[in-house]
Amino acid sequence: MSAPQPLIEVRGLDSTYMRGTPLETVALRGVDFTVYPGEMVGVIGPTGSGKSTLLQHLNGLLRPQAGRVRVAGVDLSDRRAGLRSLRLRVALLFQNPEDQLFERYVADDVAFGPLSLSLPLEEVRERVRRAMEAAGLPLQVYRDRLTFSLSGGERRRAALAGVLALDPQVLVLDEPLAGLDPAGRRELVSLLAGWHRREGRAIVWASHSMEEIARLADRVYVLAEGRVVLEGTPRQVFARGDLLAACGLEVPAVTQVLLELAQAGLPVRTDVLSLEEALPVLEALLA
Amino acid sequence: MSEFELLRNVAIGQYLPRESVLHRLDPRVKLLGTILLMAALMGQRRPAMLLVGLLLVGGLFLLARAPLGHALRGLRPLLPLFFIVLVLQLFFYPHRQAVAAGSPALWQWGRFVLSGEGMIALAAMLLRMAALALVLTLLTSIADVTGLVHGVEGLLRPFQRLRLPAHEVSMVLVVALRFVPLLTREMERLMKAQAARGADFGRGRGGVIKRVRRTFPLLIPLFITTLRRAEELAVAMEARGYVGGKGRTHLVRLRFRPADLLALGVAAGASVGLFLVNLGPAERAVIDWLRHLLSGP
Amino acid sequence: MPEPLIQVQDLHYTYNAGTEREVPALRGIDLEISRGEYVAIVGANGSGKSTLARHFNALLLPTAGRVWVRGMDTQDPRHRQAIRRAVAMVFQNPENQVVATVVEEDVAFGPENLGVPEEELRVRVEWAMEVTGIASLRGRSPYHLSGGQKQRLALAGALAMQPELLVLDEATAMLDPAGRRAVHEIVGRLHAEGIAIVAITQAMEEAAQAGRVIALCAGKVALDGRPQQAFADEEALRSLGLDLPLMARLAQMLRERLPGFPAGVLTPAGMVAALKEQALSRGGRR
Repeated sequence: MSAPQPLIEVRGLDSTYMRGTPLETVALRGVDFTVYPGEMVGVIGPTGSGKSTLLQHLNGLLRPQAGRVRVAGVDLSDRRAGLRSLRLRVALLFQNPEDQLFERYVADDVAFGPLSLSLPLEEVRERVRRAMEAAGLPLQVYRDRLTFSLSGGERRRAALAGVLALDPQVLVLDEPLAGLDPAGRRELVSLLAGWHRREGRAIVWASHSMEEIARLADRVYVLAEGRVVLEGTPRQVFARGDLLAACGLEVPAVTQVLLELAQAGLPVRTDVLSLEEALPVLEALLA
Repeated sequence: MSEFELLRNVAIGQYLPRESVLHRLDPRVKLLGTILLMAALMGQRRPAMLLVGLLLVGGLFLLARAPLGHALRGLRPLLPLFFIVLVLQLFFYPHRQAVAAGSPALWQWGRFVLSGEGMIALAAMLLRMAALALVLTLLTSIADVTGLVHGVEGLLRPFQRLRLPAHEVSMVLVVALRFVPLLTREMERLMKAQAARGADFGRGRGGVIKRVRRTFPLLIPLFITTLRRAEELAVAMEARGYVGGKGRTHLVRLRFRPADLLALGVAAGASVGLFLVNLGPAERAVIDWLRHLLSGP
Repeated sequence: MPEPLIQVQDLHYTYNAGTEREVPALRGIDLEISRGEYVAIVGANGSGKSTLARHFNALLLPTAGRVWVRGMDTQDPRHRQAIRRAVAMVFQNPENQVVATVVEEDVAFGPENLGVPEEELRVRVEWAMEVTGIASLRGRSPYHLSGGQKQRLALAGALAMQPELLVLDEATAMLDPAGRRAVHEIVGRLHAEGIAIVAITQAMEEAAQAGRVIALCAGKVALDGRPQQAFADEEALRSLGLDLPLMARLAQMLRERLPGFPAGVLTPAGMVAALKEQALSRGGRR
């Protein structure tokens, strides 16, 4: 059986912001990054590590200065690469996306993407309906709601609906949970996980929050100073607590507890990522 | 180069941090000196003196240890303007009346005539524009904007007794300086976010209404976040006890040193000289030589 | 007996009071905050946390009820500057609270407003920058600072006013883990030096570190006690839109399997200590 074809393939990507000016900064150095269909990929790294820059290459907002980015086989260095089909394949949701809403009515804002990409009106309507449903904003309830009358959490979900309406093969999220209260976080995570499962689409998730990445991701990339310093399954990545700490990152709190116990000489496994996994280990310790 | 790097083109003051006599001057002197020079240049009509003024400014660039290339780059945005002025002067100046009134005719082609007076006016205009641009470029090279704002406040402070809100004015400038780059960055982010949804920012198709609508995904969110920023900033300032300029003390205290007063005196003297001195005879000689050249063999 | 730092009596606050868009935010709050306390204020979005905090430094004035800061009534305009000196605030967005274009000038902004004499200004600014670790950034433009550095700058600006109470309005919400750690570390040191801290937070783990937790719900105080008490009832927390801190949840799960596991474990440090102790006492080691 042959290996699945990657949806997104990044090889040796270099990127410099404001190249040629006195303010130039290197954002990415020789980054390799792959996304397979239907998987959940986590990207973690301190601020300034290049996470956002990498994400913006995935849908062609930034073109590779050196190296290669291929999306569904199409090389993005080729300026003629159809932007339209790219936008429908890879959708990017920025941080604090509720700041980008501008239409008077929610449904209109959600429709902005499909309309800009010249999809037929009937199809746009259907996409808006499905997207709003998937984002927890059922159309019947929210159809005539004014965008700016919504709560912060609802507006974030409206922005999410706006990109879900593009029906992408890969949904790229830049810190989707930033600034939400615990209830809001739970809700958004459940909506995203639900969409991921139902539609079988890939998600690239950049985050500071280790717990969600540990729980949901199939694979994790760790970025620091523009380079990929670690890659693997969550279990593999979070086992390297020392390396993560050196990059200014953390492991999930429960993993940290077990690491400290192990350091104190207690017989515990440390490749634990969640409370559920920790429970049997701790029970065994204390029995 | 990304089409989204807006800050690339926004020069946040082309300040050149160097050690020079001019850099060390009190910002108030830098401002006053600039104003005096600019006033003199605007009041001077004769191209010869304006040329002297231009050379004087060039000399100041040397004093500021600023490379000549930097000075000339300050002129580059003006080139289209220079060209327009040139064309206007050549074709729309009342050359024939001038010749009729006694000005020498430098060149003639059919009914079209170029008068000496017209060319003098053209030369003056171009030299003046260049000199003014260079003075401003010089100012931004020798003074960072924060320093300039302190200078503005310092100059206005004596007028606080006359109810002039000196600190409030400088606060407006400081906040603008602080937030304009942020707005640019925000704009860049918004463009990317909307482009990611397929937005296409007015490649100029459709009627006016359509093109205006196409700016909404940028302008509306920018407007809203800017208002929100302003409100948050106002609250933060209040929380930190801001009640206007009354009773405030200052960390940065500007003090005139002898060098500052000397520089100010020199600037004043040079400006007065620029304004009053008239190199009439020298100019006439140049005009005669030009006429001789153009009427040629 | 020394007067409490903050006294709140039957506080009501309504946004846009008297108009058709009025929104009641606080509906009768009574509480006191003493010198040197470390209080966490938690609650779902819209529960009134920020609104309450803004009464502590007279940014907002009560629609009904009274608030005293060190015995000064916030409604008396003569006390305003003194109140704003005594109670300093750091806001959530690192970007929108920095005023000046140079770091050390921004730190000086607060004391400048208070009319602190110039020699002392310099001393305070230096001290505040030392404590927050930003002295090496003094001449830089805030534009080039990271989020964590900007929040430390905001802290320095607050400290330079020499407050008795520091209010942190979700001050670490927009920071990465490294930035958050740096801020917590500084705040911990300040608390150790006697400055009272009120931290509004959505992170239960942060609240667990405080000496006292106040939970708001729809403009009223729903819980007020030590973290062990506040986080004891999971259902109550859920109904307030909150959650148990992670370690408290783990402790609960462990208690179900292993009765006798100590109550009151809220933090990772507490969990590690409790586990070590339990492992020893149960003789699980060879």
